[in-house]
Amino acid sequence: MFSKILIANRGEIAVRIARACREMGIASVAIYSEADRTAPHVRAADEAVEVGPPPSRESYLNIEAILAAARTTGADAIHPGYGFLAENAPFAAAVHNGGLTFIGPSAKAIAAMGDKTEARALVAAAGVPVLPALHNPPADPAGLAASAQRLGFPLLIKAAAGGGGKGMRVVRDPDELPDAFAAAGREAEAAFGDGRLFIERYLERPRHIEVQVLADAHDHIVHLGERECSVQRRHQKIVEESPSPIVGPALRERLTAAAIVAARSVGYTNAGTVEFLVSPEGEFYFLEMNTRLQVEHPVTEWVWGLDLVHEQVRVATGEPLRFRQDDLRPRGHAIECRVYAEDPAENFLPRPGRIVLLQEPQGPGVRVDSGIRADYEVPVHYDPMLAKLSVWDVDRDAARRRMITALREYLVLGVTTSLPFLIDVLQHPAFAAGDTHTHFIEEHFPRWRHDGSQCELAAIAAALHTVLAAAATTGSAGVRAFAPTPWQTLGAWRLGQREP
Amino acid sequence: MHLTYRHRDRPIVLDVNRTGDARFSVTVDGHTAHEVRAQMLDPSTLHLVIDGQARTIRLVRIGQSYHVAIDGSVYVLTREAGVTAAGAGVLAAPQIFAPMPGKVLKVLVDEGQEVQAGDGLLILEAMKMENRIVAEAPAVVRKLHVSEGQMVDGGEVMVELEYQTAPS
Repeated sequence: MFSKILIANRGEIAVRIARACREMGIASVAIYSEADRTAPHVRAADEAVEVGPPPSRESYLNIEAILAAARTTGADAIHPGYGFLAENAPFAAAVHNGGLTFIGPSAKAIAAMGDKTEARALVAAAGVPVLPALHNPPADPAGLAASAQRLGFPLLIKAAAGGGGKGMRVVRDPDELPDAFAAAGREAEAAFGDGRLFIERYLERPRHIEVQVLADAHDHIVHLGERECSVQRRHQKIVEESPSPIVGPALRERLTAAAIVAARSVGYTNAGTVEFLVSPEGEFYFLEMNTRLQVEHPVTEWVWGLDLVHEQVRVATGEPLRFRQDDLRPRGHAIECRVYAEDPAENFLPRPGRIVLLQEPQGPGVRVDSGIRADYEVPVHYDPMLAKLSVWDVDRDAARRRMITALREYLVLGVTTSLPFLIDVLQHPAFAAGDTHTHFIEEHFPRWRHDGSQCELAAIAAALHTVLAAAATTGSAGVRAFAPTPWQTLGAWRLGQREP
Repeated sequence: MHLTYRHRDRPIVLDVNRTGDARFSVTVDGHTAHEVRAQMLDPSTLHLVIDGQARTIRLVRIGQSYHVAIDGSVYVLTREAGVTAAGAGVLAAPQIFAPMPGKVLKVLVDEGQEVQAGDGLLILEAMKMENRIVAEAPAVVRKLHVSEGQMVDGGEVMVELEYQTAPS
């Protein structure tokens, strides 16, 4: 077993990994940028090392500085968390070459799954369904039309070099194909200096469903069921759940078998996630494999009763898995909501700022993975996710109600957050019915604003706060000056006497 | 005490009068009256009993705005007035009230006088600074409620204006 793990990350995931280390009796080292000196993850670990200036490139992505921090502190393993260097094959290789253990898959497996086109070819060869695609579409219109017809409409044109929606076109009508193809080519050329395109089948209202796998170095691999992550904004998941409301035993059998085949095709070890797009008819297609711990791993932990970080650490030390597939049984339903410092009424723009007041929800079946605290300035340099709220209950509707209750209890004042929006998503009849897909938010919440129906009550509260605060500071008007005593903060109780 | 808040583009006008120890009558927009018992449990927690219904409300003041949490939503209410130290000031409501307790150092206008946007109405000394209270838009001074040397409470109406054009 390791004696000390360096956590090459920040925010809630670094806090969560530090906690797991402590539970396992392993010392932990945090790294931080100049912007994160007072961040909660720095305090969560046993030691902390500053690795560079605020920009990620110079700190959390600075391989040399991170390896130096590991050497200085005597760490014998590095956990990358998610994001930053988690799927960086050269980093995994550098950790290994430096005589340390990378808590994750091999650099080779990361590289194989990192090239999305190669990964699709690899898993397709192993028999996993991939979206029908055409990688070198013919340039002549007649040839293009014929190839497109074979793929089947609707189609999605994508830039071979690109991302971020540039050079992307959905084509539903064969007559629109030539123009759309030409326009996408020009856009790709302008954006990436590379006008090459490819075409794939486009799924209307698909679901994003992924399978968690866990593999040891002794040829054992298990799946931990699926997570549905269809509710997304700006192509990023915000609500995740397990199990999926539409996956029954037959589809689960096929999805999990395909995920295990995909993982085996690259000799995968440690925790990983195989992502699929699932059509409304229940056909599924491999999207990509994430060779790391996922943000949404808590829903799997709730339902399968495992701690995935503990398992990752054990696998990385070379221990065999302590269970086989038949030993594992899912139970109940879990939902996670990602809480961001962003404004859902303004196209989900990030809203960094100072958190003045924070009160996290509590209660049975409620878990908060938090990277913030009260009186904390959310830095502008990093992803604006503040925390993850996850809940478990016996079935989906019970879990949904528990989530709504917990979201209402979640108090963050000072920065604008996605919390009120999440309440409306969870309360939406389509969500309650399990009728989700990747365009759920565009379809149901095109111009969301919270209803504002209680603004008079809010104004009354503000006015009375002003009056009482003024009276307290001036001692005027016969209103008792504010002096918090334990008796007042205890709440509404009396000791056989009327209020003075 | 007269207070105007803005929630998004809606102004909410409140009249708060103390009727007893920790008891107030609150009128919203001049028509809805409420009997309210109010107690501050800590600087960010208010216990209100509004027309017999008890609510505990968490809120913080950030600059000129209150952030008030109710049922999982956050209402941001901005005070319809603000002052900066001697020089510029911004006001919007026709009722000009004292933003904080202080002393009226100088009254710069008379009743019936026409003022332009930016014209000074009075100078209020508060927090050891002279605050110049100005008209935000062309207006006629309808009523002066204060005189020079007078102490005012935060929220007390000092001047009433009649705008000639609606303030933006």
